[in-house]
Amino acid sequence: MFYFIIRRFASAVLVLFAISVSVFLIFFATPGVDPAARIAGRSASAQVLAHVAREFGLNRPLPIRYWLMMEHLFIKQDLTSYVNIGVRVVPQITQAAPITLSLVIGAAVIWMIVGVLGGVVAAANQGKFIDPFIMFIGIAAVSVPAYWLGEVMNLLTQSKFHSSIFAWVPPPGYVSFTTSPGEWFLHLLFPWLTLAALYAGIYARVLRAELVNALNEDYVRTARAKGLSERRILFRHALRCSLISIVSLFGLDFGALIGGAALLTEVVFGLPGVGMLTYTSLQNLDLPVIMGCVMYGAFFVVLANAVVDVLYAYLDPRVRLA
Amino acid sequence: MRDLTVSFATRQGQLRAVDGLSFDVGQKEIVGIVGESGSGKSVAIYSMLGLVREKNVTITGSVLFEGREILGIGDKDLQPIRGGSIGMIFQDPMTALTPVYTVGWQLVEQIRQHLHLSKAAARQRAIELLGQVGIPDPKSRVDRYPHEFSGGMRQRVVIAMALSCNPRLLIADEPTTALDVTTQAQILDLMLKLQDTYDSSIVIITHDMGVIAEMAHRVVVMYAGRPVEIAPELELVRRPRHPYTWGLLDAVPRLDATSERLRTIRGNAVSPLNLPPGCAFAPRCDYVMDQCAQRPPLHGTVDHVDACWLTDEQRVTIRSAVEEHS
Amino acid sequence: MSDEVVLQATDVVKTFSSRGKKIGTRVISRAVNGVSLEVRRGETLGIVGESGCGKSTLARCLVQLSPVTSGTVTFEGTELTGLSRRRLRPYRRQFQLVFQDPYASLNPRRTVGEIVAEPMRINHLGSSSEIDARVRELFSTVGLDSAAINRYPHEFSGGQRQRIGIARSLSLNPTLVIADEPVSALDVSIQAQVLNLMADLQQEFNLTYVFIAHDLGVVRHVSDRVGVMYLGEFVEFGDVGSLYETPLHPYTEALLSVVPELNDTDAPRRERIIIKGDVPDPADRPNGCPFHPRCPVATDLCRVEKPELLTIVPGRQVACHYPRNLAAVKAANPST
Repeated sequence: MFYFIIRRFASAVLVLFAISVSVFLIFFATPGVDPAARIAGRSASAQVLAHVAREFGLNRPLPIRYWLMMEHLFIKQDLTSYVNIGVRVVPQITQAAPITLSLVIGAAVIWMIVGVLGGVVAAANQGKFIDPFIMFIGIAAVSVPAYWLGEVMNLLTQSKFHSSIFAWVPPPGYVSFTTSPGEWFLHLLFPWLTLAALYAGIYARVLRAELVNALNEDYVRTARAKGLSERRILFRHALRCSLISIVSLFGLDFGALIGGAALLTEVVFGLPGVGMLTYTSLQNLDLPVIMGCVMYGAFFVVLANAVVDVLYAYLDPRVRLA
Repeated sequence: MRDLTVSFATRQGQLRAVDGLSFDVGQKEIVGIVGESGSGKSVAIYSMLGLVREKNVTITGSVLFEGREILGIGDKDLQPIRGGSIGMIFQDPMTALTPVYTVGWQLVEQIRQHLHLSKAAARQRAIELLGQVGIPDPKSRVDRYPHEFSGGMRQRVVIAMALSCNPRLLIADEPTTALDVTTQAQILDLMLKLQDTYDSSIVIITHDMGVIAEMAHRVVVMYAGRPVEIAPELELVRRPRHPYTWGLLDAVPRLDATSERLRTIRGNAVSPLNLPPGCAFAPRCDYVMDQCAQRPPLHGTVDHVDACWLTDEQRVTIRSAVEEHS
Repeated sequence: MSDEVVLQATDVVKTFSSRGKKIGTRVISRAVNGVSLEVRRGETLGIVGESGCGKSTLARCLVQLSPVTSGTVTFEGTELTGLSRRRLRPYRRQFQLVFQDPYASLNPRRTVGEIVAEPMRINHLGSSSEIDARVRELFSTVGLDSAAINRYPHEFSGGQRQRIGIARSLSLNPTLVIADEPVSALDVSIQAQVLNLMADLQQEFNLTYVFIAHDLGVVRHVSDRVGVMYLGEFVEFGDVGSLYETPLHPYTEALLSVVPELNDTDAPRRERIIIKGDVPDPADRPNGCPFHPRCPVATDLCRVEKPELLTIVPGRQVACHYPRNLAAVKAANPST
């Protein structure tokens, strides 16, 4: 198991390296483009351009340029956005991160509870009305785009019923936990529900399918022949085996979301998280920030993948040999 | 078991997987149920314990276990019996155990379900059982996962589980079909030894007449869901009455045989959806008569019954002609 | 049955390597550990062994589906083992495989007619209508209704599918057919039908068979000579009648003794020799004789020195330091 973990994380590091090289090459080695202009942003003066050229060693060979870029980004952390003059990239990201984290973790708790519950209830009541009902709701949740759902929530809570039912809903924006936990919670409630809806739908459907499969397996028949109660069979045998795939799915989704994939929800609800940051920097073609966000996102996706693999091996003993 | 009938309602009509099966199992007796695929032998036993979970099934008849009716009594009432007084061994040892728990955990789970032992005592018993079924080094193997055992070893674990609560009846569904012949010999030998130690009766389901010969005291031969012959084992192999039994016995290639061609049963296995009226075996029978349009009832002597219209004289003539030929 | 050798394998070895538990190590698994055999025209050579003995891997090596790690395979005098795929192609028509699983060896998306016609089409053996006619002919040869040509595999039973597999293997008029457990997945009555069919076909088309199975009764019935495999090598070889009556190797003896037998005569039953333990992992072979950890008569010599496959009398070979029934075998063959 130990060697498995080491091997897995070693390959994760390699993947991260490969991603950093790809990102670098995309942004700075595309032929026909002047890297200095790209870094400095539009309408940069000749002085700034020359400065950039020196800073990033644009006249030096590619590997050195790569190294300099990485140095600026990670070690010196003084890569600055040339659109918002003087604002450093790395602090921007570190400020935005906790917001995204709050959003994603809260939504994750909700979607896991709702999704697992929905999947279990549906699978345990196969054929009865509640089963297709839950599946229908699940599909509806999956089909509705997050930005639409978010805007509808806003419409209801901010304008239509703001004076009546939803008077307690604060305006869009973020309040940090340390400032006021109550406000933090209220500001995040509807974003949580919006983000969780999609995933709860997927997870309920996936879990139901896995459970139904598991319930037809030979080992469930053995468990039944042992005289165990249906409940115990469902939870201790079928669910335990089905959760393995749910856990891997969760790891990947969670990693991607932390890395910035929740941007639609963030934008709709005015939460200045990493997703929002990526979005605005893309709109402004603010290259250094884009690079920073991409690396940040990639890091979490790769990390999540590695953690999921290790977790999978922990949950399913058969995998450990591989 | 009396008149057990199991039908499934399918889109193509009623599928009678088991049609009027009756037999008894006495104390310390080993009864073998033999038949090929589609004979309904496994479905019959599973339905007895409520293990047939399809919603479209209808089960009628009566099954008395130690004097008490257990057919159709519902999960709650069956749970103490399953794994407690009736232990089951399944066919494929590779998929019979839950992959994410150690074998010790799974054994303990069953033990604590039926016998009220503490965790430590149950674990002790589990180790003891593993030793009894011939698993080397049980103290350490008890904490291993199923995939760390070979097929033969896994089947032993399944047997240990089935015996863990001292069952009165052990049901083995094709317990050695997925195993090599040397492993099969070990497992069958083990089952006989344990049956002696635990005083249990066994119902063994198989398609292998050789296994029947080695294990069974009495035999039920099934075809298309119907019992076609029931007799003590020696009687069955020496004086078989039903043409299907003849077919099964003759089709087995023998270790000492030198015949050029094997005697076969012509045609293919009948589909339970397309059962002919009358005798189910008639389309494949070499000795079919007009009478066979009527379904023959099980009749004969107290010990040896068969479902065939042939008279004893006719049988003698047929079999001696066959013996001359081979 | 002539003495002409159709297929010859010499010291065939097949190894598989996989990652070891420690970083940087590799584990070598010897699935086939030096097998030599000769198949004569018109005979049926049976290969019997339990799971994991390497018989299926050997079959694949013989038809070059799996490249051998070392050793040679010669077909009618031509060495196959070094040939490139292109050069191998014309020879491929002469030997065909029949597989074990009638449910998995037919492509479920093709009609059975297409499946049987495919080998002929690939080898351009005639026009479309000629091939079609041949397919119908093959179907009736194997006892299937030729109207069934346009049906799909799932519409047939296991026994019928196996017949289709056999028809497919015959479509190129091969000299040699290697059957890897062709009847193991079938019910006993269907098994008998398929075995009879294969015997008839052998007569009609002068086929040579290599018949691989784990069922000793089946092997006894079809084979002329038999090789017993254990852990990737032959431990005994011989004429089938003599081998079954007086086995030389302790493994063969035990194997024969534990086959469940019908007790319909009063003949004394063989004494059952129940071997303890499990087959070892081919990656972790025992020293000396591969069978010694489980052998009831093993001695220190067996632990250390690996016995060679030696000819005891013409037609019987064994790899054992202490062969069983030695006197009986020699007595039955007074020429030695």
